[in-house]
Amino acid sequence: MRFVSMAFKNLRRRPVRSILTITGVALAVAVAVSLAGFNLGYRNAIERSIDRLGFQLMIMSKGCPYEAATMMLKGGTGLLYLPSEIYEKVRNDPDIGSITPVFIGIAEKEGSGIRDDSGSAFAIIAGIDVQSYMEMKPWLEFETGTGFENGRWFKVDSEDEVVMGYEAATYEQRKVGDKFLATISPQGAARSIQKTFRIAGILKRTGTQDDGTVFLPLKNAQKLFNRPNELTILGIKMKQFSGAKLQEFESRWLSLPSVQVVSLQQVKSTLVMLIGTAQTMIAAVTIIAVLVALIGVINAILMSVYERTGEIGVMKAIGAFRGDIFQLIWIETLVICIIGAVTGTLVAISGSRLVEAAIKKLINLGVQGSIVLINWQIITGVMAGAVIVGFFAGLYPAWRAASMHPIDAIREGE
Amino acid sequence: MEKGKTIIEGFGLKRYYQRGSETVKAVDGIDIVIRSGEMVSVLGPSGSGKTTLVHLLSCLDAPTGGSLLVEGVSVEGLSEDELAGVRRKTMGFVFQKFYLLPTLTVAENVELPLLFLRKQPDRAATMEVLGQVGLEDRAEHLPNELSGGQMQRAAIARGLIINPRLLIADEPTGNLDSENSKSIFDLFGHLVRDKGISILVTTHNLSLGRLANRVITLQDGKVVKEDRF
Repeated sequence: MRFVSMAFKNLRRRPVRSILTITGVALAVAVAVSLAGFNLGYRNAIERSIDRLGFQLMIMSKGCPYEAATMMLKGGTGLLYLPSEIYEKVRNDPDIGSITPVFIGIAEKEGSGIRDDSGSAFAIIAGIDVQSYMEMKPWLEFETGTGFENGRWFKVDSEDEVVMGYEAATYEQRKVGDKFLATISPQGAARSIQKTFRIAGILKRTGTQDDGTVFLPLKNAQKLFNRPNELTILGIKMKQFSGAKLQEFESRWLSLPSVQVVSLQQVKSTLVMLIGTAQTMIAAVTIIAVLVALIGVINAILMSVYERTGEIGVMKAIGAFRGDIFQLIWIETLVICIIGAVTGTLVAISGSRLVEAAIKKLINLGVQGSIVLINWQIITGVMAGAVIVGFFAGLYPAWRAASMHPIDAIREGE
Repeated sequence: MEKGKTIIEGFGLKRYYQRGSETVKAVDGIDIVIRSGEMVSVLGPSGSGKTTLVHLLSCLDAPTGGSLLVEGVSVEGLSEDELAGVRRKTMGFVFQKFYLLPTLTVAENVELPLLFLRKQPDRAATMEVLGQVGLEDRAEHLPNELSGGQMQRAAIARGLIINPRLLIADEPTGNLDSENSKSIFDLFGHLVRDKGISILVTTHNLSLGRLANRVITLQDGKVVKEDRF
């Protein structure tokens, strides 16, 4: 029989109290693991989503660049437009490796489940130039298999063909060759128009906003929305991407009226920083949960020490050193914290998909793919944290027990 | 162990303490020697100083006067852990309340002192000790499955597991009926005769106390009578 086995047996003496104390630790650990997992997963998801936009820079109409970038990521209404002539001016810039013009419009979809924050149903319509768009996003491929055969891009001058992103098609239960109906409100028109398209192809899932987008030829999209000479963004890849080159590029084109150059790296850092700020508040809640658990552990162990005063006195009488008693009580605390940490981690891992589904249902975070990522670093870090908490939580009760004078302890126990 | 060898010697032992402005003389200048192979009873009414004397002799409390030698070595000025070291080498303990750990089996309770000595328990040796106290068939039982007399026997086995030269029992029959009390004292007599260990036992029961080889009677912290049988 060793101290560890004795500690386990002692914890079984008051099973309800031990379980409640362990539950307190487990809850705090589950919160900590979930938060850390969300922090890591969401950052990764943002980075992935921005990287998968395929652009390094965007030229867009002046306004809040982060709002615009977020809108690019999650879709939405209230987009600003820039004149098409800007594209003609910028495309020959010597630092540009490739450039693609994108027109984004919102088509109303009554009865559709695709909803924005305001609750109105909509579909994101992107007018693109296929050749330059594919240079930016060479990973885009067509879905194959039954119902998706012969998927292809629309013809440049087509007026009734669309290509759908994977999720948009799945949601609408559409296959290649099916019809796609949209209600479009052209600029300046008093009435909306009902438009029926034929689906030329359905893209494979990419894990980006492209999955929820309906693609049209650029010219047709501009025409349908009655903005023939307007674009939403110019997506740009530089020949050589560096801070100095970016600065040079910005200074060249910022002189244009109503235009701004946004680096997606900069957007990424800012979004991550904003998330970090929000998460600081959640982290504060976690710290409070940990403190409550810590106090619960100290309280439970102290109660256990006081209940066993007589026994501790007898153990000292029969030869236990102060260090033996300290070790015994301290190990009990560590055992509680370690069991709590393991339980909490398992709860967090098994519940992460539920948490993720709940978060995604409550808030549109504007990113695709998993937003909770629990890796070994997080598990190891939180477990180490729980052991450190147990280390400190056990110090005082263990010291109290070790400091008891055998005679006083035996008398108190009688 | 050689019979008659001195285990504990106390000279002019005093234990005074303050209760408000009054000085209480719990033990007041007692000379006492405990030798191997003898059973010594300390008798006296409540408050006569029996338990205080036993605490001094077992190094659980420090005298305020006089000197104490355990196996010829003075224990004066030793730290708490050093005194624990002296106890774990020389003495086994039995208390009025049995203080068996409720989640450990009888055998595990008996082996508890070995944990503090960092000795690997030898189940055969444990069973032998349990056999000496008549509990070999209760080794795997939990304390709450034993009677009061059996629990005290288990506590005695725990005191014997380290092969002590002296077993100190403070009111070991205080929680037992007369039949169990008698059987515990018979067991002590048997251990002294057959194992050659010494036993120092306190009791306020005169008839039980007289089962010892030597009976020391205390009154107001002093020895008022010493009888040998």
